[in-house]
Amino acid sequence: MAATATAVASSVESRVRSEIERALQRSIKGLEYISTGDPAVGLTPRDTIYSRGTLKLYRYRAMAGEVYRIPVLLIMSLVSKPYILDLTPGQSLVEYLLKQGFDVYMIDWGVPRPEDSRLRFEDYVLDFIPDCVDHVLRDSGEPDVNVVGYCMGGQLSVMYAAMHPGGPLRNLACFTTPVNTDGMKLMKQWSDPRYFDVDRIVDTLGNVPPDLLYASFDMLRPASKLAGQVRLWDNMWNDEFTKSFRIFDRWASDQIPFPGECFRQNTKELMWANKLYKGEFELAGRPCDLANVTVPFIHIVAEHDHIVPYESAKDLVPLVGSADKREVMLKGGHVSLVAGGNAIYRLWPQLNTWLSERSV
Amino acid sequence: MADQAATVSDPFAMWRDWVANSERQWNGFLNEAMATDQFSQTMGRIMDVYLNMQKSMNDVMGRYFSALNMPTRTDVLALGNRLTAIDDRLTVIEGLLAAITAPEAGRNSHIKAEANPAPRPPRTKKPA
Repeated sequence: MAATATAVASSVESRVRSEIERALQRSIKGLEYISTGDPAVGLTPRDTIYSRGTLKLYRYRAMAGEVYRIPVLLIMSLVSKPYILDLTPGQSLVEYLLKQGFDVYMIDWGVPRPEDSRLRFEDYVLDFIPDCVDHVLRDSGEPDVNVVGYCMGGQLSVMYAAMHPGGPLRNLACFTTPVNTDGMKLMKQWSDPRYFDVDRIVDTLGNVPPDLLYASFDMLRPASKLAGQVRLWDNMWNDEFTKSFRIFDRWASDQIPFPGECFRQNTKELMWANKLYKGEFELAGRPCDLANVTVPFIHIVAEHDHIVPYESAKDLVPLVGSADKREVMLKGGHVSLVAGGNAIYRLWPQLNTWLSERSV
Repeated sequence: MADQAATVSDPFAMWRDWVANSERQWNGFLNEAMATDQFSQTMGRIMDVYLNMQKSMNDVMGRYFSALNMPTRTDVLALGNRLTAIDDRLTVIEGLLAAITAPEAGRNSHIKAEANPAPRPPRTKKPA
């Protein structure tokens, strides 16, 4: 009994000492944190092989002596910056794929300008993506391409696949892609047509401001912002933690405007009417039926995704028409799944294994 | 006994657990509150006020710039639209030129020649 009491006292003493040291470090590192700029992101060497308006198509420079035959095209969301897949060396899906021997291309939609408020899903799915695919084929000299889409980029990718059966698409991988908006309960509630006048928003503002989008994503976990700041203070002594925190915080607050017409279409047809899930969605008067997707397909979802809850993503695999299709659920959240510290052990190897055996 | 000692000896771990639990509880509580009609209605009203202010400001600024004989936002956007239309046409012409100069899907694409002069690795890799 006495020995236990002594051990406890000694342990408390060492913990208090350690906390005092950390408190000192927090003060020093805290000043550093405030006085230094944002960390550099998107550093993997690349060339812009095509640009059109704000759109840029990148080709990343190879990091392996030999690459798989089929190039990989990464399609990103319309509302966030693409560097989430290329944060920093060692924490970059792009860099990982290059080192595994893939020839990697990426569509960066850029920041929509006020005149881009006219853009609709038709422009992205029937024009921009096929155009970029053509440029990838031309640049690589190959007749087919693999596509990887993240979040809303996944939605665009499956729409592209559904609208171009028999096209050059060879394999399709999606991460955390919503299809059934009934599963996005809070978003659906907030955009209730009785109170959410999407026409007036788009007619008045044109593109939907990034602040509005950021606020709505933040409201999904309203207490997490404050808890995040507390954790940052607690871990201010830890360089690795603060670096990672800054990068993710920068990306999360670095939202871009949502092109107005596309937002209107997304709200009315996908959020309210749930047409993509019901098989009623049309692009330029043609049905966009996910059953038309017949290429090998994988959908990787996150167990703790609060932005795209599993209820909104789980129907994607059953809806696509591919014979070779599968869903994989991995630990993590919406962002940590693709770019968190554990992505290198979870998502990235899964993607590598699935894609490599289909890329020759 | 060891567990008891560990818990007692690390009040900071208890505090961190408390932060995590509080975050979870508050998120759950606030999410419930936000999943109501009243919340959506309030949000809708706030949005209405914001849009009214925005529209009034746009109108006032538009009149102000017109009086000063300066282009308004609408004028600049119209100009932007026309430039975008020209840009789109150039893209089409560029595509046609590329198709003429590289009839075999990109084997000798001008894009490849201009932007990627470095030699590329062979496409012969096989899965391990």
